[in-house]
Amino acid sequence: MSSFMPDKTDLALIDALQDDIPLVSKPWEALGRDLGISEKEVMDRLNVLEESRIIRGIAPVLDSQRMGLNAATLVALRVPENRVEEVAEIVGEYPEVSHNYLRDHPFNIWFTIAAKDERRVSDVLSRIRDRTGLDGEDILNLPTVKRFKIHVRFALPADLSRRKGFGRA
Amino acid sequence: MSGSPCRRTSPGGKDLDALDRDLLAELEAGLPVTSEPFETLGRRLDITGAEVLERLGRLRNEGIIRRFRARIDQRKLGISANAIVGWKVPEERREEVGLLFASHPEVTHCYERRAVPGRWDYTLYTVHHRADRNAVTEEVRALASGAGISDYTIIFSSKELKRVPAVRIRENGSP
Repeated sequence: MSSFMPDKTDLALIDALQDDIPLVSKPWEALGRDLGISEKEVMDRLNVLEESRIIRGIAPVLDSQRMGLNAATLVALRVPENRVEEVAEIVGEYPEVSHNYLRDHPFNIWFTIAAKDERRVSDVLSRIRDRTGLDGEDILNLPTVKRFKIHVRFALPADLSRRKGFGRA
Repeated sequence: MSGSPCRRTSPGGKDLDALDRDLLAELEAGLPVTSEPFETLGRRLDITGAEVLERLGRLRNEGIIRRFRARIDQRKLGISANAIVGWKVPEERREEVGLLFASHPEVTHCYERRAVPGRWDYTLYTVHHRADRNAVTEEVRALASGAGISDYTIIFSSKELKRVPAVRIRENGSP
């Protein structure tokens, strides 16, 4: 938990930044106008939010297929508790793996692979299988058939001070 | 009109020239927090802020840039629970249910995936983020009853092991 607690204006700013930023020469000024604060205040708040890693950069989201990643899969592994760390490290080495989570399930490691074609995806997966020595039955390979939606936008609370687990610092 | 003197193309990535790539790579660290951030970026690449904006606008119009927004660590904002949900949906209802799930604003991802017949028969997947696990469970129950699908499994995450964008210009994607 970060020690910095965003106030209502921070939350309004973060919420606005979940949508596209204006592509104009002074985007912070434009954002500030919408939020009723100055450009300088937007920038000061942004610096704090980035330093506390609440915001991990304001950046374009690229279409993976348009960028040549034509094949993707979700993989689940069933790994003994005492091997989780070692296996997670192997999985994380591959640049084609972007998201990897430990999950509360007999299949406890879940990660995504995206690569230029299916051959490369299965190549990465077989390397992981070889290096971890996992049995086929401890691996689920769930290739993407259709993307119905990718739109990450969180429903943020309007006020964190009333949230459980957030005491005033 | 692009100010780039040599617009290079490459197979499979014909919409991007070398400068577009440099620009997108530069932006992976995030937009600089300066009064004129596109000008700042342009200086690093020896082009004007106007050309940076022109290029970003074009990439956006072409759909290569889907969105341009803050990457947020939602856990630091009290959104601590995350789950992927696998749904068993009969083949003939997959399209309809996929579209229905996708239409819910709280669902961030909705995918159809190939099953592993007999071992793992879930074919539709949704991703949910809420303050706590109870809230996720309630949200998923509401989705289930709305769609009339009773066979599903909620798989909560307990730890983030790796989380980076799928496309990173120098590492993955960008043929």
